[in-house]
Amino acid sequence: MLMLGLALLLATAADVPRGVPDDDACVALDERGERYPICFDPGDGFVVGTRMRLSGSAMAQAVRTGVHIRSGRSSRSKGSPWFNNHRLLGLDAWDGEQRGLTFTAYDGTLRRHLEEGFILVPTARPARIPFPFDVTVALRLGHLERRVWEGPGWTLETGRLGLLLDPIRAETERVWFGVGPVAGHAVRRSREGVSHTVAPFTELMFDAGLESRDGLWALRASGLAGWSIGIERGLYFRARTDVGLERVVLAVADQPVVLQLSGAYVHRDAGLARRSEWTANVGLAVRVFGAR
Amino acid sequence: MLAPAVSLACALLLAQPGNEAPVLHPPTTPLPAQDWHAPTVCLRLPPTKNVPSGEWRAQCDDTAQVCRVSPLRELDAEGVETDRLQARVTTCSIAFDEETAERVKGYRMELARAAAPPGWYRDERGRVMQFNFDLNRRVWLGGAWAPLWHDGQVQGRMRADFGIAVEAPSQRGKRLHRLRFLETELHLGVPSLDLTAARYDFSVERDDPLFRVTTFFGKPRRHDLHLNLGLWMETLRVEELERGGEVGRFLTWGTLHATVDLWHSKDLVSYVRVRAGPSFERDYANGFNTFVPGAALEADLTLDRDGFHHLRLGVEAEKVLLAPAVAGRPLRPERLRLQAGYEVIILAINDQPLSLLVDGRGMKRGDITGVPEQWEWSASAGLRFSLWAPARRSAPMATSVKE
Repeated sequence: MLMLGLALLLATAADVPRGVPDDDACVALDERGERYPICFDPGDGFVVGTRMRLSGSAMAQAVRTGVHIRSGRSSRSKGSPWFNNHRLLGLDAWDGEQRGLTFTAYDGTLRRHLEEGFILVPTARPARIPFPFDVTVALRLGHLERRVWEGPGWTLETGRLGLLLDPIRAETERVWFGVGPVAGHAVRRSREGVSHTVAPFTELMFDAGLESRDGLWALRASGLAGWSIGIERGLYFRARTDVGLERVVLAVADQPVVLQLSGAYVHRDAGLARRSEWTANVGLAVRVFGAR
Repeated sequence: MLAPAVSLACALLLAQPGNEAPVLHPPTTPLPAQDWHAPTVCLRLPPTKNVPSGEWRAQCDDTAQVCRVSPLRELDAEGVETDRLQARVTTCSIAFDEETAERVKGYRMELARAAAPPGWYRDERGRVMQFNFDLNRRVWLGGAWAPLWHDGQVQGRMRADFGIAVEAPSQRGKRLHRLRFLETELHLGVPSLDLTAARYDFSVERDDPLFRVTTFFGKPRRHDLHLNLGLWMETLRVEELERGGEVGRFLTWGTLHATVDLWHSKDLVSYVRVRAGPSFERDYANGFNTFVPGAALEADLTLDRDGFHHLRLGVEAEKVLLAPAVAGRPLRPERLRLQAGYEVIILAINDQPLSLLVDGRGMKRGDITGVPEQWEWSASAGLRFSLWAPARRSAPMATSVKE
């Protein structure tokens, strides 16, 4: 199913020219001549969803909410476009034997696009060396993980900041692939006390996304691997990756209902005990105000 | 001087069938540049091999009977126009003035580079790049190697730093407001954290003298004494550090200093000043509040017009008062800090500057329980990547700087 979706997504993304479709192309007329939207923006909307979560041998029901905002602006200081994705107040909670939740106050990427990237060497007559990458700032603030079944305690990533290079340099907000170093700070509170770790650009992160022109399909993948350093002691290696596929299956009152498939693997970073685990999810979500 | 009288008009009419087509003269070296402030017209000339669209931007001079023309689009490495419009150009206008158009038909058409805005440079292919950066308006991220000499030992450290700097002049340019947010330095190896939530200060150039003294020895003379008094304040500064297994933790609720600029540049950006005043602090390793008067002599100098070279110097002294007696430290501990740093932009990636930072620091403090008061020294070398960093307000035009 995942591969089928990916193939369809790639096919639709490749067939069409870049850019947002015309307003007329995103609206259809019913028999009575009334207009209804047929294009959606996967980066916009208030998302509420439910899903089944499989982790190890444990199956659980989960809910997910969040606010997604996609914006574009032209930089006043540089005169070039920015493609920004903001995700606010993201909550993911699951029940069952391994009850838990994650909450993220803010998670966003801000990509500055240049048609022809370059490095300027400030010689008397400025030299220009080709640099075929867009620069993306990936910022996450206030990511909390609480696992009730592990006992008292929580993990809070106070902040994470990545500087990613995007070799695709798409002129649209629908395609991106950034990879680069990340700095961050996290604190774990458990029965044993509080421990702080920092990653001073010692981790590598990637973030990629591909959406069909009409917004019916969306694929997103991200990953992170590297070392974080304990303030008190210790050096910790961790890695995690996740991939998700979305398909708008219907719209209720013009609000898209989305089928979501996703999977994730975490290596030595899950919960207070820094476990390794994988999860798979399938569910439905409604994205209110998600029409283009 | 390019005469604005020749509005564009030439434009479309020159392209009318039947009109005698003007001839483009071969380019000169270096290629002249158009004037950023002169009116520009959109001009259509007969297609050429390199500019098949025939679309140009032109500035015409009635007196010299010359038009400087540049392609509307950027050129590729072979000099053939691409589909990318030149960025950061003024809008070119189109008007229909038959008389003007008829007149400029006989003008000499010279190839030129389109003008670039102040602080930006445009190459022969029409590509624009920023060569002037304001590092006092930026969001920076940095990392450095910063070894520490303490108690006769050298200890390896790494430093990560972050901060947001904003600067805003007043309308008449007589006052410059500086703001810093979340200025953070985190050292690993020998752990320490120094984070300030917000800091504000301003420099001012006062028109009126603080005092004037008139002397009557011989011819009466008036002597004006100007004193540029300003303000410096910060709030919520967290300082945590570990030395010899002992930990100091301090939270500054607020600091209010008066400043006197001993010297400042005309645009107020560079300065040498003294400042002094009180701060209120919490020593949360020992659990009490203190009153800390302090004074500093500091300098922040931008050494060149394009903002590539920066020198920062500082000497600071503080005395911790109203602290209860704590075993293992003086009743009124003191802090002394010295700092000298130099930052230079080494290149810019997509118009975002990457700079090299080197500095040396010295510190002597007696406020950490169990750690004897002694000098410690550190040096660092690292890189900073700056976001935002627009051109400086005083940025010159590229033509006057690079050519």
